[in-house]
Amino acid sequence: MTAFARVAEEDRLRVGWYSLLARLLGGPPDRDFLGSIAALEGDETELGAAVQALAQVARGSEPKTIEQEYFDLFLGVGQAELLPYASYYLTGFLHDRPLARLRSDMSELGVARQEGVSEPEDHIASLCEIMAGLIGGAFGTPADLAAQQRFYDTHIGCWAPRFFQDLQASPTARFYMPVGTIGGLFLAIESQGFEMAA
Amino acid sequence: MSESEVRSAERREFFRKAGLGVGALGAAAVTLATGEAAAAPEEQGAGYRETEHVKRYYALAKF
Repeated sequence: MTAFARVAEEDRLRVGWYSLLARLLGGPPDRDFLGSIAALEGDETELGAAVQALAQVARGSEPKTIEQEYFDLFLGVGQAELLPYASYYLTGFLHDRPLARLRSDMSELGVARQEGVSEPEDHIASLCEIMAGLIGGAFGTPADLAAQQRFYDTHIGCWAPRFFQDLQASPTARFYMPVGTIGGLFLAIESQGFEMAA
Repeated sequence: MSESEVRSAERREFFRKAGLGVGALGAAAVTLATGEAAAAPEEQGAGYRETEHVKRYYALAKF
């Protein structure tokens, strides 16, 4: 039995949401992934409605178009509309103290960036991936709630809701608009969930 | 039920009501997730046991 199979059901779901956000924001979707997104179904919750909206845009989109949108939003040299980095949102600068703090916390957790990747670790996608790993036990034993909350409060909760709001409101975002909505709703649920456990 | 059991039941209920587990999506999200994230520690190569010196590399999505 893997560590993941012993994780409580709701925490496995949280891993799923974080991983989904990590994959959506880590790069434009290929045709396969886009197909899986198009097949998603929502329910009557707010989160469910946002998922339905995303699935609908996915059904009418070509990977090439989304790739361009991703580039314009996050990558365009000197003109990316949004910079989804903790350091930038917290200090106005990239590579500033929040990134140093993250690196030190990561090394304590025994997590490192993959070799050959030059992207700073405080990108929203990698933070979501680390959260998923902490909850699901990808880095060894699953982290307890207190440790999860420490990481969340220090590196995600203090800025990512603003980023998702910006993404949702961006005039450039079409496919990524509902991604912003989903991210914002999910993090609000996470914050509340941590408060309940405290 | 102990206090912590009550608390975790409340938490479960809260996440359920918030829509985290919506039938199809719950399953789909986890399936989507297994793409490249969350490699189980068991999958580390055999004999790779330097314990505390071993860093577990997380797969930062290809930017």
